[in-house]
Amino acid sequence: MNLVTRFTILFILVSLMVFLVGGVITFQVMKREIDAEQQRFLLERLNRIVHMIDRRDIKDDMIREKFQIRILDRISEESEVAFSDTLVMHNTLERLEPHLKLDVIRTINNRSYAITIYDVIVETDDINDVVIESLVKTFLILLVAFAGLGLVVSFYQLRPFRQTLQIIRSFTISGKDPPVFPKTSIREFRKLNAFLDEMTMKVQKDYHALKEFSENASHELQTPLAIIQSKLDVLIQEEGLNEKQLKLIESAQLTARRLSSLSSSLSLLTKIENHEFSKKEKIDFTTVVYQVLDEFSELLSLKGIHYTVENVSSPTIEVDPVLIQIMITNLLNNAIKHNLEKGSIHIKIDRKSATISNTGKALETDPNELFERFRKSNQSDTSLGLGLAIVKKICDLYGFKIKYSNKSEQHTLSLVFNGGQQ
Amino acid sequence: MKLLVIEDQKELSDNIQVYLENEGYICEVVASISKASEKLYGYSYDLILLDLMLPDGDGLDLLQTIKSNWPELGILIISAKNALDDKIAGLNMGADDYLAKPFHLAELNARLKAIYRRKQQMGEDLISFENISMNMDTYEVRVNDETIELTRKEFDLLHYFIVNKNRLLTKQAIAEHLWGDFMDSADSFDFVYQHIKNLRRKIVNAGGMDVIHTVYGTGYKLKA
Repeated sequence: MNLVTRFTILFILVSLMVFLVGGVITFQVMKREIDAEQQRFLLERLNRIVHMIDRRDIKDDMIREKFQIRILDRISEESEVAFSDTLVMHNTLERLEPHLKLDVIRTINNRSYAITIYDVIVETDDINDVVIESLVKTFLILLVAFAGLGLVVSFYQLRPFRQTLQIIRSFTISGKDPPVFPKTSIREFRKLNAFLDEMTMKVQKDYHALKEFSENASHELQTPLAIIQSKLDVLIQEEGLNEKQLKLIESAQLTARRLSSLSSSLSLLTKIENHEFSKKEKIDFTTVVYQVLDEFSELLSLKGIHYTVENVSSPTIEVDPVLIQIMITNLLNNAIKHNLEKGSIHIKIDRKSATISNTGKALETDPNELFERFRKSNQSDTSLGLGLAIVKKICDLYGFKIKYSNKSEQHTLSLVFNGGQQ
Repeated sequence: MKLLVIEDQKELSDNIQVYLENEGYICEVVASISKASEKLYGYSYDLILLDLMLPDGDGLDLLQTIKSNWPELGILIISAKNALDDKIAGLNMGADDYLAKPFHLAELNARLKAIYRRKQQMGEDLISFENISMNMDTYEVRVNDETIELTRKEFDLLHYFIVNKNRLLTKQAIAEHLWGDFMDSADSFDFVYQHIKNLRRKIVNAGGMDVIHTVYGTGYKLKA
């Protein structure tokens, strides 16, 4: 339910209550006024009747349609005027109708008269009908007015709000230009826009700062590492170094290299997270697998790993060529690294999925943590533990599903393409 | 071989200079684009070693200037930004090779010599050490005038040794040269050992001297 509809319904409910209470009040006021008016009318007639009795010196009872005058036997005390409701046969309508009755005893010219005056009263029902009819009609007019107002409000008054929503929807955190919100005369929208303006600007600024930091951190690390590396290269060429010294230099070089790969891998992860690989090309998955296998062929033969490719179908996926290359390289690297001596790798490529199975020792880590950063099968391992984390990130980016399963010494990573699937 | 090193990190350029001058290069070092331009207009060089991030601008701009004014110059880009885009842009703009920081100085030397060799292109492209000669055009390797058959990796390895002769090459530097980033260091050392064993055997079988010396299990050195 949109805001305007909700407001309209609330307004209608509230006005319905107001109309109900108002109806009751109107009814009561009207009834009171009408009653007072009728009593005044009867009193006026009483005056006329008293005047008539006085003038004509009535000696007999007198019964007319609208009044009765009875002569009392003896002189009685004058009474207060008393009003009451009664049913009287209506002559023209020929049925009993509620009437207002006035009873009084008056002594005129030494004779007491009991005077009763009737008149048809405006019935409660009639007042009711009048009140209900007029209120219902007014209410209907109000409904139409509300509906019209709702349309106007949602089309014109809420336009800046809709524009703001549109702008927010198309807002990208990686964009350079902050979004420009429409000018509006409504204070709440102005506040909202000012808040969003500030927030988006800050978010973009923070994002760019963070991105710049991640990229610079990598760059700033590589430069000192290059200096370390070159100094060690110069040092290792010195004549007369003994074995111990050489080993120390070698070890330092290896560590510098690891640090450098670590920084590159983290920078790659950041870039994937920041959606910096936005290129999309239609890539034949199988072709890339064969390319990467070719690059690994020497390593495979040196380790005596036998591999088979079962190519049921050649899926075409729409991805960044660099990322898919990295993904397959990491998957194969993983399958080779954790393989057994003279083990095997089996790759099966289907229309919508691919699996890479390899022989290997039982997993020492929790399979659920396999795709997390810095998860290694063995903490003393020289590998960085980022390979599968990168694979997972790439899968997430393209909406591929990746799952690990194993059967005794057979480990399988299965990949299901959806998002990028054509 | 006259080389202009354009690199703002003095510590790194000093090491490069020391290492390469020992290899027989004539090295000049500048730390900015403006200084590099001065040198380029005043003197002539064979090779340029260009860092992409310089204090007064982007190395790629300088690359463009060099390519339009001195198209025959060999250019090797070194960059700490391991960004593929930079690499592709650099190579597309006419750089001859790209090396990501950090790198081994032996690798730098090998790449620079390869560029230099390609640029010269006069007569037969022969590299030799003692009685071993390598023809870089036909990939023929002779030991005492006897042709020996080498695999591609063995050929690469021998070439790497000869351009870096009398230098200690660590197993790590060799592995990176042969396989780049593909190889895990744990595995690669065994493979380096195997390749070197095969290469040695082939040279010795052809009557050559055993010129590849093991240095304390850390690396190898080609020396007479």
